Amino acid sequence: MNDHELVAMKKRVQRLVYIAAGGKIKEEELGRWDIDLRTIGLDSLGYLNLLEGLERTFGVAIDLDQEEDHSFLHTIDNIVRYLVAQQGQAA
Amino acid sequence: MIWNAMSDCLERHRWRRAVTGGAEVLTYEDLGGRIHTAAGLLRAHLPEGAHVGFCLGNRTEYVVLYFAALAAGCLPLLLDANFNTGEIEAIRSDCGLDALVIERTKVDALGLPGKGDPVPFDGDVAILPLSRLVEPPFRPRPETEVCRFTSGTTGRPKCLEFSGHAVVSAASNWVLGTGMTGEDRTLCLAALSNGLAFNTSLLSTFLAGGELCFLKGSPLTRPVARRIAESGITRLVAFPTLYRNFVAPGGPDRAMMAGLKHAISAGAPLWPDVREEFRAAYGIDISDYYGIAETGPCTFERQAGHHTGLGEPLPGVEIRIAPPHPDSPEDPEGAGEVLVRTSSMASGYLNHPGMFEARVDADGFYHSGDRGRIVDGRLHLVGRTQDHINVAGRKIDPTEIVAVVTALDGVADAVAFPDEDLNREALVHLVVVAADRESTNELTKAAVVEACRSRLAPYKVPGRISFVDEIPRTGIGKPRIAVLREQLNTSA
Repeated sequence: MNDHELVAMKKRVQRLVYIAAGGKIKEEELGRWDIDLRTIGLDSLGYLNLLEGLERTFGVAIDLDQEEDHSFLHTIDNIVRYLVAQQGQAA
Repeated sequence: MIWNAMSDCLERHRWRRAVTGGAEVLTYEDLGGRIHTAAGLLRAHLPEGAHVGFCLGNRTEYVVLYFAALAAGCLPLLLDANFNTGEIEAIRSDCGLDALVIERTKVDALGLPGKGDPVPFDGDVAILPLSRLVEPPFRPRPETEVCRFTSGTTGRPKCLEFSGHAVVSAASNWVLGTGMTGEDRTLCLAALSNGLAFNTSLLSTFLAGGELCFLKGSPLTRPVARRIAESGITRLVAFPTLYRNFVAPGGPDRAMMAGLKHAISAGAPLWPDVREEFRAAYGIDISDYYGIAETGPCTFERQAGHHTGLGEPLPGVEIRIAPPHPDSPEDPEGAGEVLVRTSSMASGYLNHPGMFEARVDADGFYHSGDRGRIVDGRLHLVGRTQDHINVAGRKIDPTEIVAVVTALDGVADAVAFPDEDLNREALVHLVVVAADRESTNELTKAAVVEACRSRLAPYKVPGRISFVDEIPRTGIGKPRIAVLREQLNTSA
């Protein structure tokens, strides 16, 4: 995946986070892709919505019980890194 | 009494399937064996009549240890698995806790002073013995067999006491009123500490000879649908958000849901359009359950195709509507406070003596704080008479949040009130006034969120935070929420 595609993917994830949070997080707060989403108000319900969105958008099923470390969901950068790795494994 | 009822179920249905969690399936006979072993473990490690707190998500071990505690003569106290250390400590000092049933990995994070090492149980569950530093000021009533909790103020959850009679009544009335049978397989996605799951799924499933199933992992629509298809689930007990996600574009196929007969929603009001779309997509009517922590289950819609209201009273439930309050002139005709009398009522709050009794009138009806009316025998809610904020079925006292925030350096004033996000989910909206308006930049949203996260249970953390120069108030200092909302909408 080249840089251009990575940026496009981050923007899609950014949009999914915004939708998942139901507007509780402002779009400008999501401008930094390394910000910890929990500190700007993504709660457990928001994460549930986000997981649904990621699965439907990228076809990657995320089973939190299978992942000991959940830090891959803490920032948009981490989420994209995880998605790329999962898609690479599936390919 | 609860254990007697359960013992009878274990004997009567011994060859049937009782509990399925992940790949593990227990028959009633298996379950009985596991309960007896666990009861022996509790007797060996805990004093007689021990107060055992359950701070655990849904799983087979929860069911085993809950009934084991009853069999061993202990008092189970069903805590919200999201309670933080402060809230558990408050329960411990108010009600007394001799042990905590908890995931092993959470023991260290909670930092509670244990009495020896955690006792390993099956799976990733441990029993953490706790020492009683002082005798708690409150003693449960002799007839109390289970305690559950509702949100309290200042971080002290209110402990509701239930007699065995009340718990068995709630379960048997649910079985009778909803037509539950031994052929039912219930997938319960609501926490067992919550009244919805406790009353609709736990003992009731076993009284009917049915099977109780849990989902491992997050309650996402595809795993849920897969589970429904693979396990032949007939009843789904869930919350509005899950149903909304089902009907969002790209939701699971109708064929996967073919075996489902009852979909039950609770915790928050179900959006009418979601109910309609779910019926259109899957051919199933969602029953919008209405229950109150203090009274147990109240209503259920039995008639397929009836799409408004919250259904008719269950067996053992009487509902009255109080005359309209003069302060609620906006209520539709016939609406007033919902008063409920059930055979499954709590006995009282263990740590708030007199508070429950003050809300029960001379005829034994509990004043719910909800406003509603009866139309064609069905209950319709129109609002609440109290100031609590209902977020996903948990009632939050806004004064607790305001107390935390106004104690922060740099905060001059604050108010919290119910609001909705763009997904129409209820949330707590916190509005803050900085003490020094020149330094507003230093008082960031992240700082306020962090302060709330460190002092409050996660569900109490405000979902939206706004900063204003001044909170409009009445002459007696009461915040004028409607005016504030208008100001915020204008400036958005």
